[in-house]
Amino acid sequence: MSRLLHDMNPSVKFIIVTVSMLTMAFFFNPWTPLLFWIGILILQMTMSRINWKLWALMMLPFTLGAVGYLWTTLVFGADTGGEVIGSFAGIEVTDQQWAHAWSLTFRVLAFSTLSLLFAFTTNPVTFVMSLMQQLKVPPKIAYGTMVGYQFLPVLKDELTQIRQAQRLRGVGQDRHWWHRITGTRRLLIPMLAGAVRKAERAAFAMEARGFTGERRMEFYRPIKVSGRDYVLAGVFLVVLALSCAGGIVLGK
Amino acid sequence: MHEPVVSLADVSFRFPDDQVNTLNGLTFTIRRGERVVISGPSGCGKSTLLYLLNRLYPLNCDGIVEGDIRLFGKRADDYRPGEINRLIATVFQDPDSQFCMTTVEEELAFTLENLRVSRADMERRIVDVLAQTGLTDFRNLVIQSLSGGQKQRVATACALVAEPEVLLLDEPLAHLDPLTARNFVRWLDGIQKQTGLTVIAVEHRLDLWEGFFEREIVLGSDGQMIGDHTADSKAPVVFPKRASGMTGKPALSVSDLSVEISGKQLLELLSFDIGEGEIAVIAGPNGSGKSTLAKALCGIYKHTGTVKSPGTGYVPQSPEFLFLTNSVQDELSFSGLATTKMLDDLADRLKLKAIWDAHPFAVSHGQKRRVAIGAMLADNRPVIIMDEPTSGQDVAGLQELFSLIDERSREGITFLIITHDMEFASAVADSVILIKDGRLTGKFMAEEVWENPALLNAHHLLPPKGADRREPAFA
Repeated sequence: MSRLLHDMNPSVKFIIVTVSMLTMAFFFNPWTPLLFWIGILILQMTMSRINWKLWALMMLPFTLGAVGYLWTTLVFGADTGGEVIGSFAGIEVTDQQWAHAWSLTFRVLAFSTLSLLFAFTTNPVTFVMSLMQQLKVPPKIAYGTMVGYQFLPVLKDELTQIRQAQRLRGVGQDRHWWHRITGTRRLLIPMLAGAVRKAERAAFAMEARGFTGERRMEFYRPIKVSGRDYVLAGVFLVVLALSCAGGIVLGK
Repeated sequence: MHEPVVSLADVSFRFPDDQVNTLNGLTFTIRRGERVVISGPSGCGKSTLLYLLNRLYPLNCDGIVEGDIRLFGKRADDYRPGEINRLIATVFQDPDSQFCMTTVEEELAFTLENLRVSRADMERRIVDVLAQTGLTDFRNLVIQSLSGGQKQRVATACALVAEPEVLLLDEPLAHLDPLTARNFVRWLDGIQKQTGLTVIAVEHRLDLWEGFFEREIVLGSDGQMIGDHTADSKAPVVFPKRASGMTGKPALSVSDLSVEISGKQLLELLSFDIGEGEIAVIAGPNGSGKSTLAKALCGIYKHTGTVKSPGTGYVPQSPEFLFLTNSVQDELSFSGLATTKMLDDLADRLKLKAIWDAHPFAVSHGQKRRVAIGAMLADNRPVIIMDEPTSGQDVAGLQELFSLIDERSREGITFLIITHDMEFASAVADSVILIKDGRLTGKFMAEEVWENPALLNAHHLLPPKGADRREPAFA
């Protein structure tokens, strides 16, 4: 298996994913999302190396959601006319409802698979750097995001500390979920108080090292768009086009 | 005489929301290659002065500057934003919040990209600065995985990669333990000798710097200069002598305590006893299991073995992590275990009456610590564990901490204090519990430990500076 998707330019990948999602939104037949979903799975299987176990775990909630869509559309969907093709426990299902339900289901699956493809094959640091270099996102936003990203493990550690300290004082064993939700305020205030201080310090440290937020001319590690990225983008577009065409043909 | 790099003439500074000046009529000149320390009490404007030199102020706070600041002979206001940072680089105090990239190499490149160094030159500069600072092996490491001392070295390398003329240091040792701090100072000394860099530091604990500085500029609490002289090595913080508060009754008894978290053995078969009113210091290298012990003793972590205690409380390094309510009063009465009379008594003893209705987040650090201890005592926890209370404290903070602990101990409260600061430990401790690699080396009488440099060394601790002076008293 190759790592082509991992090495693809993140901005190009991002644009392709966005374009695919927007295109999918215009198709209401079940075949287009189904074909596209299968296409994405094949691309991911052949061009990336990921932890499929983790992938399956992440897909689980989306799959449940997809089944939910199927069920609710079949049972509660507005009657849009069409032939009744079957009935179950007194619920009559028309062919149009049937098609819409599967269309929604596959769309959810296709969207989530596509998002996971992006998430599993993209390094967040490279993505932000690429956004700044290819899509001209201002350095202030790009490096601000980077600082936030570096803070995540620190904040997680702090949250654990706060939880433990507060448990000592007799909170945290809330039996009901609504208590737990109102309790998050207690966790957030100490954490945010610390985060504000840290953010100011980080900003000072960056400025003291000559960061002004101006666009930079040269990068230590330029992230380039190569021929390979165009080819990969082409492959995605072909899969997209084929599933659109296939959907129109099969949907008739 | 070398040419001046920084010169101030009658400089005053005021924050826009303040009525009074933070800095008042400062006049001094610093020349190339000098090692200068700016000292003074907390809140005297030391850091503000430093920020005027690297141009973080006045722009970031709309402050009002009077007088004339010249950097390299040019008026400070005539520099474009970011321009001066090529010549004047800064290292800050918090090792956790001065990086924005993942690896050391990327972080160094961040400085170079800001300064618009050409890409051809970047590689050379990165290799050079890593060799110069002895960090070549760190090049591809993830910054967040490094220790505090290593992070400060990386922060210094990130400053030096700009090839500056002046290095500003804003209390760079505040969050380091004394041994790491000493090693950092020696390392910096080598670099300064090699490069002839001008070093200007803000610092209140000069004893850690040994003989590093040649000149000391002293600021008074009103932001005026009250001294400009040759720096002499400072005596460490002085604490009053205390008599032990031990009552002879037992308080905490631990036998065969082990902690295992997700398959990792963090503590193995620890046994020791601590008496009522005793102050025990827990010390040992980073990662030896000190905090794990503290959390196991007060019941945050599950453990095997037995712990007998009348109630164990815990004060984390940031006391505000404990706070749950909107006033100091509610904080103490939160558990509902203490009667009004007990609360009143606690408030008196801990001097909390003045801040009784204040928000616990809005009081000073020393007061937060008092509130935290008050909350623990109100919860019937007369054995109190404090996690690194000495870290980041200035002289006044340490002295306040000393009297807080000393007074409580005389009231029969038992303390376990985790600290690396043997200066503080020698002033306050009755006994010392040494831990290494999750095992107990032993519980010692405090004096025994100070007289045993080999034992201290094995646990990455520096002997207290007064130890040799104190020895005759014990003979």
